[in-house]
Amino acid sequence: MSATINDLAALRDGSKTDQRLSTPARDAFTIVGKGVPVKDAIEKVTGSIKYGVDFAVPHMAHGKILRSPHAHARIVRIDTARAEAIPGVYGVVTHEDAPGGTWENAWFNYRGRIMDGTARFVGDEIAAVAAVSAEIAEHALAAIDIEWEILPAVFDPHEARKPGAPQIRDEGNERDAYVVEWGDIAEGHDLADVLVESDVVFASQQYASIGRNACVAEWMNDRVTLWTSSQTPSELRDGVHEAFEIPLSKVRVMALPSGSSFGSWWSANFMLVTVMLAKKIRRAVKIELSNAECMGTVKRRHIEHTRGRMGAKRDGTLTLAQFDHVIDNGAYGFKDDVGFFCVDMWGRALHGDYQVHAVNTNLVTAGCMRGVGDITLGSAVERTANRVAAELDIDPIEFRLKNQIRPGEPLRMRHSLHNMDCSVEEYLAGIPEELRAEWPELFHLSSGSTAEILTTGAEAFRWSERWQGWGKPDSVDGPLRRAVGVGTGAHVCGVEFEGSSSAVVRINGDGSAKVHASCGRQGQGSETTLSQVAAEELGIPFTMIEIETGDTDSCPWSHGSLASNTLYRIGWAVRAAAKDAKRQLLEIAGREVFHLAPDELQVVEGVIAPVDGSQPGVSVEDVMNMLRLADTLGQTSSITGRPATPMPPSTAFARHFAAHFAEVEVDIETGEIRLTDYLATQDSGTIVNPQVMKNQVIGGAICGAGFALFEELHFGDDGRVLNANMLDYKLLRCADFPHQAGVIFGDSYDPVGPFGARGAGEAPMAASVAAIQAAVFNATGVWVELPMTPERVLTAMGVI
Amino acid sequence: MIIVRVNGREQTFEPAADTSLANMLRDEAGLIGVRVSCAEGECGACTVLLDEQPVTSCLMLAHQAAGREVTTIEGFGSPEHLHPIQQAFIEEQGFQCGFCTPGFIIAAAAFLAENPSPTEAEASIAMSGNICRCGAYPYIVRAVMTAAERLRGATA
Repeated sequence: MSATINDLAALRDGSKTDQRLSTPARDAFTIVGKGVPVKDAIEKVTGSIKYGVDFAVPHMAHGKILRSPHAHARIVRIDTARAEAIPGVYGVVTHEDAPGGTWENAWFNYRGRIMDGTARFVGDEIAAVAAVSAEIAEHALAAIDIEWEILPAVFDPHEARKPGAPQIRDEGNERDAYVVEWGDIAEGHDLADVLVESDVVFASQQYASIGRNACVAEWMNDRVTLWTSSQTPSELRDGVHEAFEIPLSKVRVMALPSGSSFGSWWSANFMLVTVMLAKKIRRAVKIELSNAECMGTVKRRHIEHTRGRMGAKRDGTLTLAQFDHVIDNGAYGFKDDVGFFCVDMWGRALHGDYQVHAVNTNLVTAGCMRGVGDITLGSAVERTANRVAAELDIDPIEFRLKNQIRPGEPLRMRHSLHNMDCSVEEYLAGIPEELRAEWPELFHLSSGSTAEILTTGAEAFRWSERWQGWGKPDSVDGPLRRAVGVGTGAHVCGVEFEGSSSAVVRINGDGSAKVHASCGRQGQGSETTLSQVAAEELGIPFTMIEIETGDTDSCPWSHGSLASNTLYRIGWAVRAAAKDAKRQLLEIAGREVFHLAPDELQVVEGVIAPVDGSQPGVSVEDVMNMLRLADTLGQTSSITGRPATPMPPSTAFARHFAAHFAEVEVDIETGEIRLTDYLATQDSGTIVNPQVMKNQVIGGAICGAGFALFEELHFGDDGRVLNANMLDYKLLRCADFPHQAGVIFGDSYDPVGPFGARGAGEAPMAASVAAIQAAVFNATGVWVELPMTPERVLTAMGVI
Repeated sequence: MIIVRVNGREQTFEPAADTSLANMLRDEAGLIGVRVSCAEGECGACTVLLDEQPVTSCLMLAHQAAGREVTTIEGFGSPEHLHPIQQAFIEEQGFQCGFCTPGFIIAAAAFLAENPSPTEAEASIAMSGNICRCGAYPYIVRAVMTAAERLRGATA
């Protein structure tokens, strides 16, 4: 049995409902828990860090993409001769050049072939030109002659579900319904003293990353290298391998840091178009996207529509949660569920039935954006639950303490099961007996909840003083009404059964160490927190640890940075790899220096010494030197560690939780909403770096506030995105958010995650939307549809 | 041909008539710290100082800088000798992805030159010409306040 499983068992000795490690153990951490500056801080403040747009190789060509003017159309004939004849043009690619392979990314963005002669949204990639300059390439696009057959298009997901609707994909428009149900809905209905119906439509949010993207691709014979900003280097490598039908060994992705990606930059078809162009002209090519392309042709959040009901007994016990949720996947999205961890969070409802219907439309592809599902369905559930609580006149915090999940309780989602490659029985049989004994059933919440953070947050926010009751402002000053609201959110910590993320940790000859872990660097600080995990396990100073995250030739496969996966799952792998490297180091030191067993030794601040202090210490560097000088001790002068096992199978899975408290001031004459106070609380287990975590939490709150208040993509009647720019697509600015906003962390400890840590970045988005919407209700007495623009506020109030 | 004083050194450039100042600085001078995101003057990532005034260099023609002085983030501090504002942004972690950071630091420098003793509310409004999509705003305000204190100390 691996050491990790031992840890897991040991940590589960406590009660089911309290997974906290005793404080002294967490206090013993030397670098985990410290708010050290992020590793790339100096590069960022001096402007020297290189993103995809900054990368170049000598003599590269510049590419531009021809995009469809039609939402749905087939190319009858395409003629590139005029474009190819333009001086300075190296070559043109169309669907006729596209390889036969199809690619997908992270199991729900399925593109198909890179180009197949059909355009499925306005902006779809049709052809591309490579030239000596971007200007010439752009000019040549206009010289490509196309004869189109216009096909009927559909933009509304409800319309796209109907028989006879235009079919966008060979697989049909609609994915299989995704269903989570427990108990008996009829009984939940009968038990309810109060029943509330709900019908909520959500706008599409744009990632609106500051920082565009570019891709440079270069072939050397039959091998290709890509340099681009990506959160998912391994997945991108896999996509190129699939589309071009070449061995994985011939694809190298060198992922660069990205701007505020939020899920925008996983793999994108423009990257594969770059690879096509480079292959055709046998020269390196760079395609740099304009901001309009980034905001209008890559991805966006799904348009979603939730209808449902919740019921409760007079004492506040939820008896029923029933929701039917429709999402539009746009042209190439393939997602059949949407996050959905609100279902787990409200899983104490006695009876539940959630159904998700995912449908393709001829709008630009919808993809997972930060907080996917939990910012939409989750906030609809929050709003419905709030209305139930209001009917019963129960305080929202009390209502949540009564109805939200605690550690050890069942996860209602069976999200993971359709990913399993074995039966549930086989899976359970693979879990060691001692782990199964406590929580024998699939699946339970491993640690954390909203309970502690709601309680500590309410106290810090002075909730009981400020809360005046449902629909009641706490101050009225002319047209200005102030009120507070609370909202909660949950999200996953990586997705179960989707392959094992791995890592390599190498101890070098001088006692420094290098971590190789495939993930993104989109500002979430993983290069820093993963290095802290490695430093803590190795006992080597943090300043001696460096990390490579982007090179798929040196980093083992991982999902990358999505689904709040990085610290929890890749972090687990980094710790396991560091353990393996340290074991090898201590075996050598024990045998050659101390004549002790490895478990009688420890490494502290780069010095190896007996735990009992019986002998003076020897530096890691000195031991590594012995390795270098003596042929008999090892194969190389460095030690390479890797996880001895995959992440242990478990019946308990992690979620992360957020509870946010907002105060708003609403001008009921103008409909304008101002955020006047904010407190965010977060339960993510051990906080590896409080500075990084604060930024994740507040950043999530701000992005959620944008979705709550004014972010909305607009589409024309022809399906075109009308506001793919930052003038017409508004983003929150500094003065729009209370700068005194506070952050409080919960104190839970996860039994699986590295040093007790879990994921972090997505639950804050959901909690923010819910809190602000509830505060606006309390200020105005009406529920306002999102985004809560002044016009919608006044409409909801019946003023206009 | 135009002559522009860039980060304290005179340089000659031959920009096309429609080349933006941002693209000239990035492509000709190799100053990649001039970030271009929205390219329409909304996000402020491309902010540089032109004769000590902050401008969005994506919206200016290169020729408009002829005979003038431009300061980019590369002119602020080196890894060994960070500018106090850069140091404060690190300490308060006033950034995440870092794409907007040079623009914010330059906007902060111009603001603090005008108002060396701002309130937090003033700093927050002054930083609203730039966009940080990651949402580091509260920590950007703290960084500006910390930098203001240091800069006042340095000149006292």
